[in-house]
Amino acid sequence: MPNPSLPFVRTLNPVRLNSLGGLASGVVLLAAVPLLFVIYNSLQLSTQQWLGLWSSRLPELLWNTLSLAVLVAVGCVVLGVSSAWWIARREFPGRKLAVWLMVLPLTVPTYVFAHIYTTLMEEDGWLGRLWLALGGGADTIPDLYNVWGATLILSLAGFSYVFLLARAALSQSTRSLEEAARIQGASSLEVFWRVNLPLLRPAIAAALAVVVLHVLSDFGAVSMLRFQTFTLSIYLQMSGRFDYQSAAGLSLILVMLSLTFLVLERFFRNRQRYYAARQSRPQPRQRATPLETGLIWSWLGFITLLAFGLPLAWMLSWSWEAWSQQLIDAQFWGYARNSLMVAGIAASVAVVAALPVAFYNARHRSLASHTLLHLSSVGFVLPGPVIALGILSFLLAQLPFLYGGLAALLIAVVIRFLPLAVQSIDAAMAQLTPSVEQAGRSLGAGPLENLWRVVLPMIRGGMATAWVLVFIDTLKELPATLILRPTGFDTLPVRIWIEASEEMLELAAPAALMLVIGTLPVLWIMMRGESATTSNP
Amino acid sequence: MSYIKPLILFSLLLASIATATAADSLVIYSGRSDKFVKPVIAEFTRQTGIEVILHAGKSTALLGKLKIEGERTSADLFLSNDAGNLQKGSDWGLFRPMNTALTKDIAPQYRAEDNTWVGLSARARVLVVNTQGPWADKLDSVFDLADPALRGKIGITNSTNGSYIAGVTVYMKAAGVEKTRHWLEGLKTNAEGRVFNKHSKIVKAVAQGRLQAGLVNHYYIYRHLAKHPDAPIKIVLPDQGPNGIGVAWNVAGIAITKHTTKAALAEKLVAFLVSETGQKQFAEVNREYPTRTGVPASPEVPPAGSYKVADVPMAELGRARNATLDLIEQVGMP
Repeated sequence: MPNPSLPFVRTLNPVRLNSLGGLASGVVLLAAVPLLFVIYNSLQLSTQQWLGLWSSRLPELLWNTLSLAVLVAVGCVVLGVSSAWWIARREFPGRKLAVWLMVLPLTVPTYVFAHIYTTLMEEDGWLGRLWLALGGGADTIPDLYNVWGATLILSLAGFSYVFLLARAALSQSTRSLEEAARIQGASSLEVFWRVNLPLLRPAIAAALAVVVLHVLSDFGAVSMLRFQTFTLSIYLQMSGRFDYQSAAGLSLILVMLSLTFLVLERFFRNRQRYYAARQSRPQPRQRATPLETGLIWSWLGFITLLAFGLPLAWMLSWSWEAWSQQLIDAQFWGYARNSLMVAGIAASVAVVAALPVAFYNARHRSLASHTLLHLSSVGFVLPGPVIALGILSFLLAQLPFLYGGLAALLIAVVIRFLPLAVQSIDAAMAQLTPSVEQAGRSLGAGPLENLWRVVLPMIRGGMATAWVLVFIDTLKELPATLILRPTGFDTLPVRIWIEASEEMLELAAPAALMLVIGTLPVLWIMMRGESATTSNP
Repeated sequence: MSYIKPLILFSLLLASIATATAADSLVIYSGRSDKFVKPVIAEFTRQTGIEVILHAGKSTALLGKLKIEGERTSADLFLSNDAGNLQKGSDWGLFRPMNTALTKDIAPQYRAEDNTWVGLSARARVLVVNTQGPWADKLDSVFDLADPALRGKIGITNSTNGSYIAGVTVYMKAAGVEKTRHWLEGLKTNAEGRVFNKHSKIVKAVAQGRLQAGLVNHYYIYRHLAKHPDAPIKIVLPDQGPNGIGVAWNVAGIAITKHTTKAALAEKLVAFLVSETGQKQFAEVNREYPTRTGVPASPEVPPAGSYKVADVPMAELGRARNATLDLIEQVGMP
C-alpha cells in the first residue's frame, strides 16, 4: 500500500507545517513537565540506591504490574468484544438499552468499584451472605486482596472502552469481505477468526492501549486492594518515607515500560490500515432467534449486574440512608458543582491542546511527530500523585503567580488525560481519507478555511469523544486532585475518599451516585454522535 | 474556533481566583477525620468568630505538600493523627515554635522538645479479645499474638496503617529490633496472608468469633461496644507486668506553620484546643485521652495513669519511622 499522506505533504506550505509543529511541541513540552521532574529526581539517586531498588522491589513489581495488565486486558477483551459482537450484529429487543448498559460502568471510578466489592464480599455484605446461603463457609469467601480481585475490579471498570471501539469497528466493517469468505465456503466461526477478528485488531489494539494505560496508572483500586503495582509502590515511597527520589526512580521505569508498550501498539496498528470505501454496504443486523435473544440477554445481563447493577444498587441503598437522615446539605451540591466545573474546563482545554499534536502527526507522519505523540502520553503513564508533585514543584519554581487557584489542578488533569484526547482525535484523523482534504484544497480553500470547513467538521465525532473521555476521567480523578485542589475546594471524589476512609458509607454513596448522574448527559452526547456515524443504512 | 478565546480567558480568570481567605480566618491542613475535628472547630468559631477552613487529606501527603509549597503555603496550621508526622515536619523546619506559656499544661512527653508541635489527644495500642473463646484470659502481651497456637486467629491491619507503624516503632525501641523482627515473623504466619484495612473490621471479626484477638487502637473497641453493648469482646492492656514494656501510645497533635502570616490567630486556636473545654471536646468525640494533665478521658476508658505506658518519646515515632518500615519490609509483612 503506498503511503497515502505523501502526495499531500508535498502540497503543504512548509511554513505552516513548522508552526503547527511548533504548537504541537509547545503542548508536548508542557505535558512533559512531570516527566522532567521525574528524571531530575531520579538523577539524584546514587548507583547504590538504584541497585537497592532493583534487587528489593523491581522483580516483584514488574511481575505484579505486568500480570495484572495482561489479565485485565484479557478480561476486557472477553467482556467487551463478546458484547460488542452481539450488539453490532444481531437485532434483538432492547438492543439500544444494551448499548447503554455496556457503557454505564465508565461512570463508576475504580476506587468506588473496589470499595463496593470489598464491602459486598464481607461476611455480612450482600455477596457474602449469598455465599453463606449457598453453603459456602465464612472462611472460603473469595478474597479480593490479590491479583484476581484487582483483575475483576479493573476489568469491570475498563471493558467499556473495548466495547465502544470494537462496536464501532464492527458496525463500520463492510459486508463484502464476509460475503467473499462465505462464498469460499468458510463457516461462521472461520469468518469470525479469519475475517472479523483481523479487521477488529486495530480497534482492539487501540482500546487495549487505553485499558492497559488505565491499569498501569490506576491508583484507586490497587491502593484499596493493596496490590503492589508500580503505582502503589511509588505512592508508598512518597507517603510512607517521603522518599521522592526512589519514587521518581520507580516512576521512570514505569514510564519506560508504558512507552515501550505504546510504541509496540503503534507499530502494530500502523502496519494495519483498512480504508473502507464509503459506498460499500455496511453489515446489516440479523434478527436474533428467541434462543439467541435469551442467550444474549443472559450474558449482557450478567455483565450489567456485575459492572453496574450491583454498584448502583449499593449506591442507591446507602444514598437513601443518607437522604432519610437528612445528611445531604448545601455543601454536597457545592462538591458536585466543583467537580463538574473542573471536568468541563479540563475537557475543553485538553481537546484544544490535543488538536495540534494530532494534526501534526496526521499530516506529517515522521519520527518527530511520532515522538511528540508518544511524549504526550506520559501524563497517562505517570501516577497521579507524581504528576501532581511535578506540577506543584514546577509552578512554584517558575510560575508562582499561577499557584493558589484552580490553575495547578487544571494543568495537572489536562496533562493526565491529554493522551485520551490525542488518541481519539488522532484516530478520527487517521480515518480521514487524504483525498477529501486534497479535494478541498483543489477547490481553492486556503489551509485555514480547509481546516475550518472540511477537517474539523469531519473529525467532530472524534473531538466529541475526546471531550467526553477527558470529562469522565477528570470527574473521577482523585490522586492529583487531593494534592492540588485549592484550599477548602472539595470535589465529589475527594469527599468519597474522605467519607469512605472514615467508613461513613452513607455519605460516600451519594457522592458516587452523583458522579454517575453527572456523567450521564455527556455519555448521551457521545452515544448520539456515535449512532449518527454508525447507524446510517 | 471562536470558543477558544473565551475559554482561555475564563481559565485565566479561574486561575486568578486565589483562595482569598478573609483576614480573620485560618486554614488547617488536617489529616484527622473531619467528623472528629469539625465539632471542636465549630465551637472555636462560635466563641471567637474566627472562621476555620479544614483542608482534609492524608497526613503524609499534606506534609509533603507543605514542604514543597514552602513560603507560598496557605496553611496556618497542620493537624495530624500521628506524632511521627508532626516530628518529621518539625525536623524539616516547617513549623514555628509556640509560646511556652501556651503548652505548659501539656505533659512534656506529649509535645516537641522545641515546642514546634503539641499533642492534643492520645490513643493506646491494645488487644481486643473475644471473651467467649479459649483465649479469653490467656493473652497479656502483644508478643503473645505471635504464638503459633494462634495461627489464623488474630487480626492485624495491613502494614501501611499509620497506627500500626507507630506501634511497631514503639516495640522496636522498647523491646529491641531482634525481638520485634521475630514477633513480626510470627504475626505474619498467624495472619495467614489476610490482613485488614480497617481496625473496626478487626474488632467486628473478634466480636463475631471469627478471630480470637486483634491489635487495635483502644477507641475502636468502645466504638463497637457503643453500637453493640453485648458484644463478647474486652480490652486487654498489654505488657503490664514488672518486666513488661507497657502500652504503646501515640498522639494526635497540631503545629503552627513556619510561613503563616497569622501566627497570633493560630495561637488562639491552639490555646483553645489545649484549654480544658477544648481538650475535653477534642478527645471525647473519639474517646481518646486528653493530653492535658487533669482532664479525664471518657468514663468507659481505662483511666490514664492506671496502667503502664511504654517509655518511648513521641519524637522517635518520626525519627525511627524509616527503620521501622525497613524492618516491616524485610519481614515482608502484608
